[in-house]
Amino acid sequence: MSTTTTMTQQECLAHLASIAGQEHTQLCGKTVAVAAADAQQIAQILRFADANGIAVTPVGSCTKLGWGNPVEAGIRLDLKRMNTLREHPWQDMTCTVEAGCNWAEMQKELAQNRQTVALDPLWPKLATVGGVVAANDGGSLRLKYGGLRDLIIGMTIVLADGTVAKTGGKVVKNVAGYDLHKLMTGSFGTLGVITEVNFRLHPVEVHARTWTATATDAARFAEPLRGLLDSQMTPSAVQVRVREQECALDVRIAALPECMDDHAGRLQKLFGQIELSEASENVWQARQELFATEGAVVLKVSLLPSDVCPVTTELQQWAAREGAEISIVAQAPGLMAVALKSSPDAAIALIKHLRGRLHGCGGSVVAQQFPEALRDGLDVWGCDSNALPLMREIKRRFDPNRILNPGRFVGNI
Amino acid sequence: MLFGRVLPQSHIDELRAAVGADGLITGESQLQTYECDGLTNFRVMPGAVVLPRNTGEVQAVVRICARHKIPFVSRGAGTGLSGGALPAAGGVVISLSRMNHILEVDIANRYVVVEPGVINSHVTQRVAPQGYFYAPDPSSQSVCTIGGNVAENSGGAHCLKYGFTVTHTLGLEVVLPSGELVQLGSATLDAPGYDLTGVFVGSEGTLGVATKVTLRIVKRPEVVQTLLAAFDSPQAAGQTVSDIIAAGMLPSALEIMDALAIEAAEAAVHAHYPVCGGLLLVELDGPSSEVEVLMGQALEICRNNGAREIRVAQSDAERALVWKGRKAAFAAMGRISPNYIVQDGVIPRTALPSVLSEIDRMSSAVNLRVANVFHAGDGNLHPLVLYDRAIEGQEEIALDLSYRILHLCVDSGGSITGEHGVGKEKQQALGYMFSEPDLQTMQLVRCAFDPQNISNPDKVFPRPRLCGDVPGPYKPHPLETAGIAEIF
Repeated sequence: MSTTTTMTQQECLAHLASIAGQEHTQLCGKTVAVAAADAQQIAQILRFADANGIAVTPVGSCTKLGWGNPVEAGIRLDLKRMNTLREHPWQDMTCTVEAGCNWAEMQKELAQNRQTVALDPLWPKLATVGGVVAANDGGSLRLKYGGLRDLIIGMTIVLADGTVAKTGGKVVKNVAGYDLHKLMTGSFGTLGVITEVNFRLHPVEVHARTWTATATDAARFAEPLRGLLDSQMTPSAVQVRVREQECALDVRIAALPECMDDHAGRLQKLFGQIELSEASENVWQARQELFATEGAVVLKVSLLPSDVCPVTTELQQWAAREGAEISIVAQAPGLMAVALKSSPDAAIALIKHLRGRLHGCGGSVVAQQFPEALRDGLDVWGCDSNALPLMREIKRRFDPNRILNPGRFVGNI
Repeated sequence: MLFGRVLPQSHIDELRAAVGADGLITGESQLQTYECDGLTNFRVMPGAVVLPRNTGEVQAVVRICARHKIPFVSRGAGTGLSGGALPAAGGVVISLSRMNHILEVDIANRYVVVEPGVINSHVTQRVAPQGYFYAPDPSSQSVCTIGGNVAENSGGAHCLKYGFTVTHTLGLEVVLPSGELVQLGSATLDAPGYDLTGVFVGSEGTLGVATKVTLRIVKRPEVVQTLLAAFDSPQAAGQTVSDIIAAGMLPSALEIMDALAIEAAEAAVHAHYPVCGGLLLVELDGPSSEVEVLMGQALEICRNNGAREIRVAQSDAERALVWKGRKAAFAAMGRISPNYIVQDGVIPRTALPSVLSEIDRMSSAVNLRVANVFHAGDGNLHPLVLYDRAIEGQEEIALDLSYRILHLCVDSGGSITGEHGVGKEKQQALGYMFSEPDLQTMQLVRCAFDPQNISNPDKVFPRPRLCGDVPGPYKPHPLETAGIAEIF
C-alpha cells in the first residue's frame, strides 16, 4: 500500500475499523476497503489518510473504475452504505439523494410521483449516483434535457482535509456563490468525495415512441439529421448507430398521445424517401452494448453535431481498410461512443488521427475502456488544454497532499 | 483588498500605453459614469477606466494590474442590480463596451461566438432570420451585455424551460487575473478536464475577464401562446402555478404580479392588465398541436383555482404588451413610490403561499408596502420594498426588511439570489446561506484563479478576504496596521 509513513496495513485497517466499524472494514489485497456510514465518517477517514499520505479511491459499484489512469490506492472508500433517497419534495420537482444510492433504485422511487432525473447513464441497475456524477456519464437524453451540469442543483462534498462543504442548494434557480457542484461533476473523485447530490427533476415521459431508419452508409442520414435538428420538433433522443456496415438512425419522441400521429407525419416528411419504421425502446441500449464488446477499445468522441455523419462514414471506411471491427453510437448533440477491435498499433494511430481531425473545433477523444495491452502506449485523456496549469492549481488547493485518486485524471492530476 | 486609493501616474501611463489615449478615462467627471452600476446606493470612484478593443489589450491591462496588484473590475452595460460592477477605490474598470462584435455564427451546429460587450438581444436579432434565438432573457436584455450575463449567470422569465446563461454557455476565452489567456470549453461538449466553464459562469467577475463567449442558440418554437389569469390573491395564483407544474407541464414562463405591481405597471406602460390581487401570466410554446392541448389544460386549472378573468393574447402585439408591463415592473415602481429596493430571493415553489403571508406580516409590522413580482415557476421572488428616503430612518427600515425577506427565503429552503447575484449588496447574506466551511471551499477556487485577489475583490464573500486568510473574527492585515495599505 502506498503511504508516506511507516504505518502498516494492519494499523490502517484497525484505525479505519475504529471509525466505520469492523464489519465495514476489510483487507482486499494491497488495499483496505472501508464503507462509511455518513459524511462525518468520510471526513474522519480522509483526515486520517491525509495525515498519513495514503491514496484514497472513492467507489460506488465500481462500474467505471477502469476509466482514466490507474491508481494504486491504499484505501478504497466505499459509499454503498450511503444509499438513501433522502428527500423528494415532488411538488418542487427536486430531490436529495446519497451518493451510494443505486441509480435505478433512485429512479424507481422518483417514478412513484411520475418524476425522473432525466439522464440515461450506463449500467443504471448497477451504477451509483456518485459514480455517474463523478464520471459525468450520460446518454441520448442529453439532446432534450442537457447533461448532469444542467440537472444538478446542489451537492455535499468532503474534502481531503475532512472539510464537509455544501454547494448550490435545493432550488433550481440559484446564483449564490460559486457552483462547486459543476467543478465536482466529472472530476473523477480527484477534488473531494461526493456524499449527496441535489437534482432537479422532470416528469417521466409517459407516452414515447421510437422510429428507426436504416442505410448502409451514415452519409445518407446527414440531410435528414440536419433537417430534424433544424426543425421545430423536440425529440428527446436522436442517435446514429453503426455495427459493421449497417447503419441506423433512431429518433425518440415523447408527446401527448393525441399529438403523436402529427409528430410521426412530420418526421416522415423530414426523412423523405428514407423509410422510417417504429422500433423498440431497446435501441437506446446500444451505447451500453458497445462496452460489452470483448477486447475492444471504447472511445468517447466529442465533435460538432454537423460532423457526426461525416466522421461516422470516415470511421466505417477506416475500419474496412484496416480490417478492423467497429461499432458506433453517435448522439445528435455531438457525443459519440466508438468500440474498436483492431491491432493495438492501429487503434493508437486512429486515436491520434481523430484527435488531430477534431482539434480545430475543440473536439476530443477519451479512451474509456481498453485492453490492458494497450495501456502503455495510450494517452487516455488526450487533454492538451491550455487551462491544464489552472486545473493543477485547483487540485493543489483542494488536495495538497494528492491523496484523492492521484494521477487518475487529465494531465495526471 | 489591499491597495492605496490613488492610482499612481506611472501606472496610468502604463495603461495608456496598453490601450491608447482614446481608450483611457481618468478625468473625474467622466469617471463618475462608472462609479456605480444598477445598484446606485453604492458608489466608489475608480482610479481609471480602460476601454480595450480586443483580447490582447485586455491581457495587457490585466498584466499591469497583476504586476502592481491593482484591483480591477470588468464591466458591461452596468445594469447589474447587486453592485457587482462597483469599482474598487482607485482601481481599474475594464469596460468591455468596445468589444461588441459577433464573431461567428454557426447555424448548423447551433452556436455563436461573441465578444463580451455584445448586447443580449442583438444575439437573437442576428440569428432570428434563420429561425433561432438566444434563450436567456433578463429584463434588461435590450441593453445588458453577454459578458455581464456570464458574470451573473443571468436568467430571465423564460429560464423555467430554457435554463440560465450557464445552460447556454459552451465555451469561454478568459484572461486570468495573472494576464494569462485560457480557453475553457468549446463549441463541442464534455472537453476532458474540470468543467471550468461551469464554474466561471456566475462567478461575478472574481475569476478573470471573459473575452470571447461561445453560446448555444435555440430553434424558435413553432407556436407561442400567452394567457393572463386574474385571481383574488397572489396565493391563489401561486397555487395555480403548483397545479400546472404537478400536471406535468413545463411552460416557458410562469409569472405572477400582485396588486401593487399591477398598479405600477399600468401607470407606466398601460398594459391593460385586469385589476386584481394576483395576476398570473402563463406562456406555453412548442409544436402547435401540443400547445393547443396544453393551453386547454392550463385554462381549466386556472378556472379550478378561481380565476375570475382569463385572457389569451390574440396576437404578437398583444403578447408584446403583456410582457412590456411585466418587464417594466421594476422601473414602474417609481410611479407609486419615491424610492424602492429590488430584492431577489428564491424559495421552493410550494413555500410560495406561506412566504407571501409572512412577507405581508413583516411589511405591515414596519408600516412599509412591498410589491411582489415573481418568476413563479422557479420560485424566484422579486419583492420590491417601497419607501421614502425623505422620511428619516425609513431607508434603514426598508433595507432591514429587504434583508429579513432574504433570510426568510433561506429559512424556507431557498436562496438569497436567483439571478441578480451577490455582488456588494448581499455579501453578508451569503454568510447566512452558507457556513464557513462552504465559503472556505469556494475560496479555494477563488485563490487558484486569483491568488493576488485583484479580480473584483471584496465582492460576493461575506467579508474582505485574502488568499490564506484563516476563518474567524476580522483581524487587520499587517500592511494595514503599518498604514501601507487599506482594506476596502
